[in-house]
Amino acid sequence: MNDVTPPEPEIRPARPAFWQRLSVVWLVPVLALAISLGVAWQNYSHRGRLVEISFANATGVVAGSTAIKFRDVTVGTVEKVGFSGDLSRVIITARIDRDVIPFLDEDARFWVVRPQVSVRGISGLDTVLSGVFIEGSWNSQRGTARRSFTGQDEPPLVRPGQPGTQIELHARDGNKLAAGAPILHKGVKVGYIEEPRLSPSGDGVVVQAFIEGPHDRRITSATRFWDTSGFSVSLGTAGVTLNMSSLASLVEGGVSFDTLISGGDPITQGQVFDIYEDEAAARESLFNDATAAPDDLHLSVLFDGSVSGLTPGADVRFRGVRIGEVSDLIAQVEEVDGRRRIRLLVNLTIKPSRLGFGDDLSAEGVMTLLQDYVARGLRARLATSSILTGALIVELVELTEYTPATIDMEAKPYPVLPATEAELSDFDATAEGVFERINALPVEELLSSAISLMDSLERLANDQALQETPRTMNALLDEARALIGSADTQAVPGEVRAAIGDLRKITDELEQARTVAKLNDAIDSAASAAANIDTAAADLPEITEQVKALGDKANSLAVEELVDAATRALASIDALIGTEDARQLPPALTGALNQVRGFLAELREGGAIGNVNSALASAEAAADAVENAAASLPALSERLSRVVAEAEALLGSYGERSRFNAETLATFRDIQSAANAIRTLARTLERDPNSILFGK
Amino acid sequence: MEIAGKPGPLTARAAGLVACRRCGRVHPGGAQICQRCGGPISSREIKSLQRVWAWLFAGMILYIPANIYPMLLTSTLVSKRESTIIGGVIDLAHHGSYGVALIVFVASVMIPIGKFIAISYLALSVQWPIRQHSHLRHRLYEVTDFIGRWSMIDVFVVAILSSLVQLDTVATINPGIAAVSFALSVAFTMLSAQSFDSRTIWDSDRPAE
Repeated sequence: MNDVTPPEPEIRPARPAFWQRLSVVWLVPVLALAISLGVAWQNYSHRGRLVEISFANATGVVAGSTAIKFRDVTVGTVEKVGFSGDLSRVIITARIDRDVIPFLDEDARFWVVRPQVSVRGISGLDTVLSGVFIEGSWNSQRGTARRSFTGQDEPPLVRPGQPGTQIELHARDGNKLAAGAPILHKGVKVGYIEEPRLSPSGDGVVVQAFIEGPHDRRITSATRFWDTSGFSVSLGTAGVTLNMSSLASLVEGGVSFDTLISGGDPITQGQVFDIYEDEAAARESLFNDATAAPDDLHLSVLFDGSVSGLTPGADVRFRGVRIGEVSDLIAQVEEVDGRRRIRLLVNLTIKPSRLGFGDDLSAEGVMTLLQDYVARGLRARLATSSILTGALIVELVELTEYTPATIDMEAKPYPVLPATEAELSDFDATAEGVFERINALPVEELLSSAISLMDSLERLANDQALQETPRTMNALLDEARALIGSADTQAVPGEVRAAIGDLRKITDELEQARTVAKLNDAIDSAASAAANIDTAAADLPEITEQVKALGDKANSLAVEELVDAATRALASIDALIGTEDARQLPPALTGALNQVRGFLAELREGGAIGNVNSALASAEAAADAVENAAASLPALSERLSRVVAEAEALLGSYGERSRFNAETLATFRDIQSAANAIRTLARTLERDPNSILFGK
Repeated sequence: MEIAGKPGPLTARAAGLVACRRCGRVHPGGAQICQRCGGPISSREIKSLQRVWAWLFAGMILYIPANIYPMLLTSTLVSKRESTIIGGVIDLAHHGSYGVALIVFVASVMIPIGKFIAISYLALSVQWPIRQHSHLRHRLYEVTDFIGRWSMIDVFVVAILSSLVQLDTVATINPGIAAVSFALSVAFTMLSAQSFDSRTIWDSDRPAE
């Protein structure tokens, strides 16, 4: 058995460890698994929670796509649309984001947002394209989260967490109010009402309303609400009044409010208010309202005369503002000076708040103030409020002249306010009285007077003479025209021209004079002629004046008068030219020249040379005189020129280029040329005064 | 080691040869490095099966989210929807596009699942010899290897759609998580198929020495 060789041990390489045999690739599935699980966990943990919302119907809600929104941000999606066990409601199962779930407590509201068109506008327009969505609303307080909710059919008017105050309004009927109708304050929408419903007792309508903050601070217990629905037409003494608030309130109705008096208490959530028919009723209510009574101030007034027309409820006014009302009328028997007489005691209820006192002042304080007022002349008196009805009111007036009085604080039942005489002209100013007075008016006489006046007017209008007046006027105008067109008038310029022609002849002769032999007495004559011309020239300013006056008249007067004035002016010119001086100028000159000629003849005959020296001396002096005369000649021509210029201006304003005009212009041009001739003569004389003597 | 006496085809291993898998050159058994291309040579890939199983598991794991999560995120002006692979197929079929639905279904569902099954079967058949014809199994392997890439159709569709349809608010298509995981799943199963050393199919005909 020894030779049995032991079997050779089988030597194998050590089997590699398990992890050494493991491929690296195994990391991949491990990684994939880890990532997949991670993604799955992530997804699951971020998944929202399911909540159930029940609706009466689910119009447009689609499982899987309809969104749940909060403040317009999607916070979830509808996953399932099903029914409740008895099929009475639709149960919508929605998955809502985890982070908003804690806020979904009992105040959470859900409703389906659909496009809505109403008088107030269009809402939910975005849902037309995207389909409906479910809007949720809840406040920002975490509460015990709920998993099932009851959805609302209509969007709630008040969102949880919205600042404002919820109030309750009571109205007699709700036929003018619709859900969502605005609540206005001074025309601004500050809130809205919810669906009106019948009050539990069935005798009215209760409407929940919401006043948005901060406007809810405007509401106090003294606030009054009134209906502004539709429109109202009132016919009164002030004319026709149409009251209409807004189009929305016309269709959906609306409620307005105002705090009419100061001193109300702050309101609490759910405070109850009444809706009055209109603003007037709301204001009235302040005085009928028993709730405001404790603040009231009670006073009495004693009136002596008749108080017919004064009734309980009549206004008490102070400076035209209603501050209270008459609460009672009592007849009171008084004994004055041993005689009994009946006086009427009128009880007044005055609202101190209407006087602006508010809460700050106690009733005693108000009374003290009133006493102060009375000491300064405050009195009560009766006044007419309406002529038609004869109704009376009590007016508190401040008199400037008064007898001192005080409030009788001891009087019963209330302190008595001193009264004064009413300023009523006619206590019985009833409608009847007014109509009687209207009847008494002399309407018929007035009418007959009017008729006779009309008749007179008609007669006057039909009068023959009056009807002929236009004809006479026409004739007058015709005559005036004939006058202007008459040969005489038109001949005036011709005459003027003739006169100028004469003038020119004179100057021609004057010019010729230098060609003639000159002698001493001729010089004297020349001097006197020059003096005459000077005189004539002195008259020319008068012409100018007249022409100017003529121009003024032409501007202001009628054509006829203008023509007259022109004629007169021309006549004056004519007369001037035809004056004795001017007309005698040529004969005088002629005579002078004849004398010169005669003198020369004598000289020639006599040959008295010895006289020449003395004659020359005389001639010397004569030449000086001529020089003087000649010096005045430029001034003369100057004046003539001015005359012509002014006459031209006058005729320019006269305007028409009639023959008269043209001729007048020609006349004046002649005058001008005459003046030029004179100027030429003057210059010649100036240049060579001796030429007139020696003929060279 | 009689060669002719045994049924079945002659294998290289039985002939004492080893071929390079890259360039195909045949070397005598025991060669470590290919003389032509310099690549490593081994008669059988070590850890081949491990890699096959690892890639396969990775592909299968990723195939689950690929089907659960949405493949396409389609948001238009009015709606927003997510569609999974199967959901997309059903939608297409509902709209009457049966052909397209069939293509998507085959490419995205049948082929990946078929590959899982085929590769698992091949790997198991190597470990636990199954008396089945090696030729059939080899054919199965070749088909699996070839057809795997066609699963990418769905991924391409998503990639093209999401890059083309970007009209901001009007219409937008985005790939979902499923698109990524599906693409990875397909890639992993292809790697799994490639890791499989098809030569081991033939070993089961003849027990290894």
